[in-house]
Amino acid sequence: MTSPLTVQDLTKRYQSPGREPLLAVKGISFEIQKGECFGLLGPNGAGKSTSMNCITGFYPATTGSVKILGIDVYSQPREARLHLGVCTQEDTLDTDFTVFDQLVRHGTYFRIPTREGRKRADTLLKRFGLNEKRDAMVEHLSGGMRRRLQVARAMLTEPKVLVLDEPTTGLDPEARRVLWDVIMEARADGIAILLSTHYMEEAQRLCDRIAVIHQGKILDCAPPAELISRHIGHTEVDEEIREGVHWKRPPNLEDVYLKLTGTQLKGNA
Amino acid sequence: MTAWWGISRVWLRYFDVYRKSIFYSVVTTFIEPVLYLIAFGFGLGGMIKQVHVHGMDISYRRFVFAGIVGQTILFQSFFEAAYGSFIRMYYQRVFQAIATTPITLSEVLWAELMWDASKATFAALAVLIIGSVMGDFNPWGALMMVPVCFLCALIFASLGLLVAARSRTIEDISYPQYLLIFPMFLFCSVFFPLENLPHFMQSVAWVLPLTSVVSLVRTLTLGFPLDLRVFVVLGVWLVVLVPLSRRTMSKRMIK
Repeated sequence: MTSPLTVQDLTKRYQSPGREPLLAVKGISFEIQKGECFGLLGPNGAGKSTSMNCITGFYPATTGSVKILGIDVYSQPREARLHLGVCTQEDTLDTDFTVFDQLVRHGTYFRIPTREGRKRADTLLKRFGLNEKRDAMVEHLSGGMRRRLQVARAMLTEPKVLVLDEPTTGLDPEARRVLWDVIMEARADGIAILLSTHYMEEAQRLCDRIAVIHQGKILDCAPPAELISRHIGHTEVDEEIREGVHWKRPPNLEDVYLKLTGTQLKGNA
Repeated sequence: MTAWWGISRVWLRYFDVYRKSIFYSVVTTFIEPVLYLIAFGFGLGGMIKQVHVHGMDISYRRFVFAGIVGQTILFQSFFEAAYGSFIRMYYQRVFQAIATTPITLSEVLWAELMWDASKATFAALAVLIIGSVMGDFNPWGALMMVPVCFLCALIFASLGLLVAARSRTIEDISYPQYLLIFPMFLFCSVFFPLENLPHFMQSVAWVLPLTSVVSLVRTLTLGFPLDLRVFVVLGVWLVVLVPLSRRTMSKRMIK
């Protein structure tokens, strides 16, 4: 069976006149299975968004391939993207339409008939807690609601693969939890999810497997618990959070991340 | 490879926005040409009465009405494309949102140009109807103008898209607006015969697309002799600007 998403040896070089070419993604490969949430964890500028933009076929890759259900996203973007739901890092909601109308309209770009689109939009708005805002324009939504709407829009087309680029960045804890629930449900529905984040807790909670990405390369890729035991072990971490104040805690993903990217926690041997 | 289906979906999005705020749309599309018609056709026309062009004596109102068809095409398509597409690309990110669906950026950009040209054609159609009803235009010529309007509008729309693609901020659009669009509006024979200008300015005006557009409008609606130069000028602008504007915008968005 073909995987919902296969990324193979993806590289991306930015070329701009008068500047040194920048190799932002240096050959990453991974596969995501049905019902799996795969996390790309890395700091700003690690190449996460570039990878995401290449995976959705919006940017052409310099080398390598991306296949959605076995369909090449570069040679057959129309066919491949029929199965893809995207929530980009930037807010791309259509401010010319109401919450409800833009969901239905988004469906028409996927050849979903208006009737069917309306039915799905109804269900989604209820599920995402946005039903009271269905006739509001986007500008009247809070930041958390806008993000939720953008994820709802990505799910309207019942994609097999969901790409979420930092979906919770800048959200308050409550709005973040609502989105986490939604993502977990999507995963339970068998959607393959690619999630990028720089929040360790989020990655640890949601992701079945995590790829730590740094300077355009995947440093390691495994389930969160395995990453921790492989790189840190099981001993408690003694972190000096203020001078003279020590905090003994179980090791977490942040320790792995900092170790892998070569920065050590202060006071941690 | 580009598909009509995708283009039509995106065109419909634009059209639905237009339809949804119909009052705003009518005001912004139709009021301006009507104001020009009244001010110049009746106001100035009442003073000037007759002009002598190409060996024909013709009322100034007829002369300037035809010019306003050209001016309407220029303003409506350029401004919708320049400011509108900058907003859709930069602030709303509509281009990006649609270009990650099964519709490609190439299709989105075709739809953008077609919409800008359609909107300009609606507005020009209003002027053509008014002119025909008043007996100033040959109605058959006015009818033939409709597809011609669309093609001419495509030139100014791609000029607008090119400007949007090259502008860092929305304020940057003012430069071509004041340095190219307004001079075209004033010196490309909308208000007076080109022959009234010094020779070198006539030559410059002939290179600019609006002169040819206005000349073609007057041929069709007023029966002025056809100047074959218009096909060369408009053809070259169309063939150069449409692909150039699309490519420039794609390059700006897709790294």
